[in-house]
Amino acid sequence: MSSTEERQTDFEVALVHAAEASHLHDAGAALRRSSLWRDALYRFTSNRAAIIAAVAFLMMVGFVVLGPIVDRADPYAVNFGIAYQSPSWSHPFGTDEFGRDLFVRTALGGRLSIEIGLAATVAIMLIGILYGSISGFLGGWVDNALMRFLDTLYGLPYLPFAILTLAIFGVVNFWTMVVALTVASWFTTARVMRGQIISLKENDYVRAARAVGARWQRILFRHLLPNTLGVIIVFVFLELPGVVLGEAFLSFIGLGINPPKASWGSLAEDGYTAYNTHPYIIIIPSICIAWLILSAFFVADGLRDALDPRTRETKEG
Amino acid sequence: MSSTPLLVCEGLKKHFPVRKGLLVERTRDWVRAVDDVSFEVHEGETLGLVGESGSGKSTTGYCVIRLLDLTAGKIWFNGREISGLRGEQLRQLRREMQIVFQDPYASLNPRMTVGDIVAEPLVVHDIGTRRSRQATVRQLLDVVGFDPSYVNRYPHEFSGGQRQRIGIARALALNPRLIICDEPVSALDVSIQAQILNLLKDLQRDFALSYLFIAHDLAVVRTMSDRIAVMNRGKIVEMGLAHDVYENPQDEYTKALLAAVPVPDPVRMRERKVERRRLRHALAEPI
Amino acid sequence: MALLEVDDLRTHFFTREGVVHAVDGVSFSVETGKTLGIVGESGSGKSVTALSIMGLIPRPPARIVSGSVVFDGRDLTKLSEKSLEDIRGSQIAMIFQDPMTSLNPTLTIGTQITETIRRHHGLSRDQARNRAAELLEEVHIPNARQRLDDYPHRYSGGMRQRVMIAIAISCNPRLLIADEPTTALDVTVQAGILDLLDELRTEHQMAMILITHDMGVVAEAADDVAVMYAGQIVEHASSEDIFNRPEHPYTEALLGALPHLESENVRNERLTAIPGRPPDLVNPPSACRFAARCVYANLGDSCTTVPPELREIRPGHLVRSAHPASERAGHREEVGAR
Repeated sequence: MSSTEERQTDFEVALVHAAEASHLHDAGAALRRSSLWRDALYRFTSNRAAIIAAVAFLMMVGFVVLGPIVDRADPYAVNFGIAYQSPSWSHPFGTDEFGRDLFVRTALGGRLSIEIGLAATVAIMLIGILYGSISGFLGGWVDNALMRFLDTLYGLPYLPFAILTLAIFGVVNFWTMVVALTVASWFTTARVMRGQIISLKENDYVRAARAVGARWQRILFRHLLPNTLGVIIVFVFLELPGVVLGEAFLSFIGLGINPPKASWGSLAEDGYTAYNTHPYIIIIPSICIAWLILSAFFVADGLRDALDPRTRETKEG
Repeated sequence: MSSTPLLVCEGLKKHFPVRKGLLVERTRDWVRAVDDVSFEVHEGETLGLVGESGSGKSTTGYCVIRLLDLTAGKIWFNGREISGLRGEQLRQLRREMQIVFQDPYASLNPRMTVGDIVAEPLVVHDIGTRRSRQATVRQLLDVVGFDPSYVNRYPHEFSGGQRQRIGIARALALNPRLIICDEPVSALDVSIQAQILNLLKDLQRDFALSYLFIAHDLAVVRTMSDRIAVMNRGKIVEMGLAHDVYENPQDEYTKALLAAVPVPDPVRMRERKVERRRLRHALAEPI
Repeated sequence: MALLEVDDLRTHFFTREGVVHAVDGVSFSVETGKTLGIVGESGSGKSVTALSIMGLIPRPPARIVSGSVVFDGRDLTKLSEKSLEDIRGSQIAMIFQDPMTSLNPTLTIGTQITETIRRHHGLSRDQARNRAAELLEEVHIPNARQRLDDYPHRYSGGMRQRVMIAIAISCNPRLLIADEPTTALDVTVQAGILDLLDELRTEHQMAMILITHDMGVVAEAADDVAVMYAGQIVEHASSEDIFNRPEHPYTEALLGALPHLESENVRNERLTAIPGRPPDLVNPPSACRFAARCVYANLGDSCTTVPPELREIRPGHLVRSAHPASERAGHREEVGAR
């Protein structure tokens, strides 16, 4: 073993020697001080559609968070005396058939819809990332098998499966709804993540990590996954609208969370029967849903352009 | 100084399958990227491996450093056969053999700092403490001419030549005996190329390194190598002392290759044009 | 009168990080039948110069802020896009570095050639096809007629570049601009392409501008050489003069940095390395742009205060430096001994 130690000491001595004698720093100064995130932020803010969408998205989030705080009305208070009132100063969104203030109910409904949406999105991302990374990273027959399986799953219709899942659970609450929405929605994420991992694997810096002796865990978690961050962020904003709409649909057809708790979908269902006489009851939650979906999509689009690491590097010294 | 060469390669073959088929992919054909290649590298010397694109030179380098598995053939390093090493033994081998990659824009993880990149080999092999590693990293950067105060910056803040220095520092971190240089200056401008080549020469002297120097530029290979092997379509067509191969090439392809290289001397260029016309058949382009 | 006269051309890129002075006062002329080699490293402005001549710079963010490009008596910088389109392809043709991306992969080679011919000459389809086959033969592609119906992916890199050249000469241009035509090719293929360009230039009596970073290519193919650095021409002379009697410190260093193919003690010699990197073109140095890396620049000297002008140090040899080789006392021996 002493020859290894000898070599190590020789190395350290040589290192010190060479460092002292080196042609100091003739590499020159750094090119520029910049941060990848700051460049991305700049690209995002230069995109007018993306900024408008981001503002709209934040407005909606602001509404659902602050609405019930600003408007102190009790969302469950039944008061037939003021039922079916059109939007007015005291009730900005009007009242429903039970006389409940719709402004507060819409805001709270938004909270529920978005919470379910976020939970489902997180679940989708976790499953999709796990499945896709394993498949892409391992490659070979594992990848083949996993992808063939995924191909068959693609045939599953999303909503009927959500309904089926709810039926199996027998009860509709927050968590069963999240599971139902996740069950058939993670396929695209898995596929995209796999593609990302496969293309990132070809990079020289991954080869360099292998050449240095890094184990697979380090390669996956230190080299591959961090470089998929951009894609993941974009996907969050793409999946969210889908699940929110899914929840809305399920609630609309009566499979939503039980009353008196409301989500946008169940509010729309409430307003369905009264459409001819009091259209605002269904129109308002519908607009909210559309607002969230559109703003999220355009934010996703803007993020994708901003985070696209298309290096415009040219050959240089 | 032992008489056994540091690296011995015998009958190396690397064939890539060409898969075709409708439902089930069948291997129809093979791309013989490396087709029976044998050579040696002695301690302290540089063997230049030169060839055009598709000659198999880079693939040979990857096989030697075991980034690719061999289809056939054997490799001995420091007297020990390494062709079949796996797992922990292979990891230990990594400390003796390292590689510098061609593309300075792709060989550094864009999400790691310069310091982390150079420290990675030390971290992976659990060498030293955090503090000692930091000191070593600074010394390594110093040695390659890169200002150590930039240790917390990211690769994209630096030019190609600077990034290549970072890659070289990383390769040096484990104190390897052999470094495979895979086209280390092909992506760089001439004046920067000279900086890096000088650096590699200095490092060889200061750290008793041996190089397998892979390149397509004959002049670059000439200035770096003691011995040279010329590759064409997966095979070595000529090998010998650099001086002999360049002054007195035996193989037709080598002659044609040498005649085709542009030389910065207009008078010589005219003479070489005449030589090229004679060797036209060996220069026939692939269709 | 020269075929092309470029006078004090300045092309700047207006980016959010500032104004990049990519080409900052470039002047030269090209005569019919001659080849001008423009050599420089990345960021020297050589490609932008070529694109500026053709009016192909991306607008925005780039703009020709001043200067003129007089081709055959007409100033190209003042022409409309429509007039430029008529000139491009028929009078001035350009070939680029990467033949992989210059050709449309979904069209046959024949279609791409005949497209250009018919646009400028209004030939019938059969006439154009014959002409296309002739052109492929002229660039030495074997089995020309059959290969017209092949798609680009069936051609190798060198073959594709020959096709690009065929397209370029199809309308008998008076000037051919070749931007790094051989950089992406193997060295044996490169030699063939340069030979071909030379052959065509004499046959068609074209003028040629050859842009490259490779001094060897320039030695082989150019009659005159202009060396560019940081957006300016720092030396301009005949090919023999540049190599045998370089004046500018950058040219000398560049030649010294080249590893020699044919010399004796190559293995142990050090290459002349120029320390540092080219200057930032957003804020170029107000005086000599090479001063920061020049071994002859002295503080308190004009190098850092007065921008050197391009002056004629010998007939036909221009240099932009306060310390050209022939004016350095005691350095004459160094140059001679190389």
